[in-house]
Amino acid sequence: MIAPRWIGLVLAVMTMAIVVANQHEVGLARDEIVYMQHGARYADWWLGLAKLEHGASRQHITKSFGGPGATDNNREHPPLMKTLFGLSHRLVHKRLGVDEVTAFRLPSAILHGILVGLVFAMVLALWGTAEATVAALLVMFLPRALFHASLAAFDAPIMTLWFATIYAYWRSLDGRKWPWQVGVVFGLALATKHNALLLPFALGLHYLYVGFRAGGLRGLILHRWRVIVSLALLGPLTLVAVWPWLWFDTYAHLRAWLDFHLTHVHYNFEYLGHNWNAPRFPWHVALVTTLFTVPVVTLAGSLVGAGVWISRRVAAPDRARAPGLLLGLSAAASITPFFLGTTPIFGAEKHWMPALPSLCIAAGVGIVWATRALAERLSRRHATAVLGAFAGVIVLAAAVETVTAQPYALTWYNALAGGPPGGADRGMNRQFWGVAARGALPVLAPHAPATGSAPVYTHDASPAWGFYQKLGLLPRSLPDAGHEAAGIERSRFAIVIHERHFNRHDYLIWKSYGTVQPLYVLRARGVPIVSIYKRRPSR
Amino acid sequence: MSGRVDPPVPRSWLAVWLPVWLAGLLLAIAVWEIVATRHAATRVPGDDTWRRAAAVVRAGHQPGDLIVFAPPWVDPVGRMHLGDLIPVEMAGRMDADRYGRIWEVAHAGERAAETAALRPVEERAVGGLVVRRFERTPVEIRADVRELLPQARIAGPGRPTLELAEVGFTPRRCIQVSPPPGQAVRITFALPAGTLVGHAGLADVFTRRDIRAPGTLDVEVGGRVVASVSPGVDDGWVRFAAPIPGGDVTFVARAPAPQRLICFAAEVRP
Repeated sequence: MIAPRWIGLVLAVMTMAIVVANQHEVGLARDEIVYMQHGARYADWWLGLAKLEHGASRQHITKSFGGPGATDNNREHPPLMKTLFGLSHRLVHKRLGVDEVTAFRLPSAILHGILVGLVFAMVLALWGTAEATVAALLVMFLPRALFHASLAAFDAPIMTLWFATIYAYWRSLDGRKWPWQVGVVFGLALATKHNALLLPFALGLHYLYVGFRAGGLRGLILHRWRVIVSLALLGPLTLVAVWPWLWFDTYAHLRAWLDFHLTHVHYNFEYLGHNWNAPRFPWHVALVTTLFTVPVVTLAGSLVGAGVWISRRVAAPDRARAPGLLLGLSAAASITPFFLGTTPIFGAEKHWMPALPSLCIAAGVGIVWATRALAERLSRRHATAVLGAFAGVIVLAAAVETVTAQPYALTWYNALAGGPPGGADRGMNRQFWGVAARGALPVLAPHAPATGSAPVYTHDASPAWGFYQKLGLLPRSLPDAGHEAAGIERSRFAIVIHERHFNRHDYLIWKSYGTVQPLYVLRARGVPIVSIYKRRPSR
Repeated sequence: MSGRVDPPVPRSWLAVWLPVWLAGLLLAIAVWEIVATRHAATRVPGDDTWRRAAAVVRAGHQPGDLIVFAPPWVDPVGRMHLGDLIPVEMAGRMDADRYGRIWEVAHAGERAAETAALRPVEERAVGGLVVRRFERTPVEIRADVRELLPQARIAGPGRPTLELAEVGFTPRRCIQVSPPPGQAVRITFALPAGTLVGHAGLADVFTRRDIRAPGTLDVEVGGRVVASVSPGVDDGWVRFAAPIPGGDVTFVARAPAPQRLICFAAEVRP
């Protein structure tokens, strides 16, 4: 009999391997290029510091981590993941010879594996092996989360570090003397993405609840006070420790970081047939988008699981630490800001992905509870095997959705929405970040001239264009033509990455090229994602 | 064996059967999801089907025929196969009223907005696509202000230009003018008598996002406003119409905020 913890480890490693394999087909995201470039700088700074090549003076730090402008050296985002991307690049690419993009993206993949492992560990401790296995598999088979984990970006990693904080907090409520883990992990979450600032709402409410139940008014503060101290002290200290930009003018730099996000511009996104770029947004965006971007079986299973939690709350495991409530508050803290109608939503579900582990855990509990009852009714003797088969069929549905979604998962919608074509019919967001341009490269490459060059209007893929050439996916004779109308005028080819607010690029190209006819239209399950135009020869 | 055995706790009928039903439901959802996901991934017609449908259109196409696609999101694929028959001016049309023959290539069950009120004179199913031909009496165009822009008399700050602009996320060949806040740009055309039918809207998604004020376009005849529209940032391409006598007709564009790219097109019809 395999020890359950090994199952968790295998699932975690499998997840990491799936992400690494998947990312090979995923194009370079616009912001990802920025994170890679700055991550390499941050890594060099740390390596230089470790080798005593330079000190930690204000000047040295500013050169790599800051500057007077709000986005200088990408100082609007905390550095943890960027630093890991850079270190991975230096080690895994430069030393071990793994390809550059994989090396940059490896930390995201590892963290996604860790997420699956942590979900397994928590559910195993509370409910059992079957529940843990199903919950972990449902996390593994979240199509959009798998996509985001395939990028050197922050959205999947913050899902991991958010959940890691929830897990560490839950563990720390056991009364241990030195619950340093929760503070450190919370600090790492803060150093990953500003979503982590919402975590205290979940943890605070939960602490008040368990504290009051354990010790009345006195327990509100003193129940497990060391946990509070750990979060309040070690969290910020960890953030500062990994972010040299906070080593001086700390208050001003923290304020600038938060101000950037509190006053963030509203990007365009499409929702139910309307292009949104200014508040108020519909209150139901997060609800409907989640409904359409999580496998239906996971959604249905989570409803069953939530029902089980609520109806059996008296007999629930580990009542003193109220894990069901903790997971519910975790999901609520992550997603609630998007019901307000004013929070920027442009990246859709990626902004509230930390809610998804709670959903998958509920689904794991609900699916196993129901299928176990059915299995026992059908065959008491082979109940475990029958349970495995039934749960397997349910998980298979999530796996089929996940496989279908890649590599253009931002265009994918679940069966409830009607798949990618159903998402397009409903006017849901087509994509963002220019990732799909990767699929246009094999069409463009054969058109490269033998001599001279044929500039390409690369539009939203512009930041990634040089990298694609460096990777050998595009000949050097197809350079980026430049921005907007001037770039189009210079170009011999043009691409348009289809998002509703990018229609204007089509029209600029039509005007310059004198035709509305693309050379080729790249599609994801039939839905247009990139058009490629070729300028007609001048008469 | 020894010791006392506790009597089993009686469970309600619902408590026994609810999880079984829910398990059955979850299994049914899973099977449906697998089938539905694979169906959705393959239901959109591919290039072979499009090529056959395009051949049907090409066989009967006459110069000046309008070609439209449905649903709207399939438009790039339609243009890839038939875009050589769609001049830029046709793609940026004010509306479809001037076209007597319209070809529609649509996914099964879909219709384009331009043909919604029409009955096809010919319809052929080609794989998952349907090719329809519509015929009607086109409206007579007595004058088109876009063609008359070089002869127009312009007063006020700002020079109108003829553009292919994005208005409401659709292509519009239109006269674009950006009046300074609180000032009017007056564009006067000598037009024949008839019914003036036009559309107006605000161009450019990014200025619409950053500045939320509407723009206003009045149509004046003899100093009297005969039509007025104030398209806002989410209104798209707004229609207006008014009977006009022959003679000078002035389009007055104004806005309370900067960077209002007011775009309009208008035709005189009987």
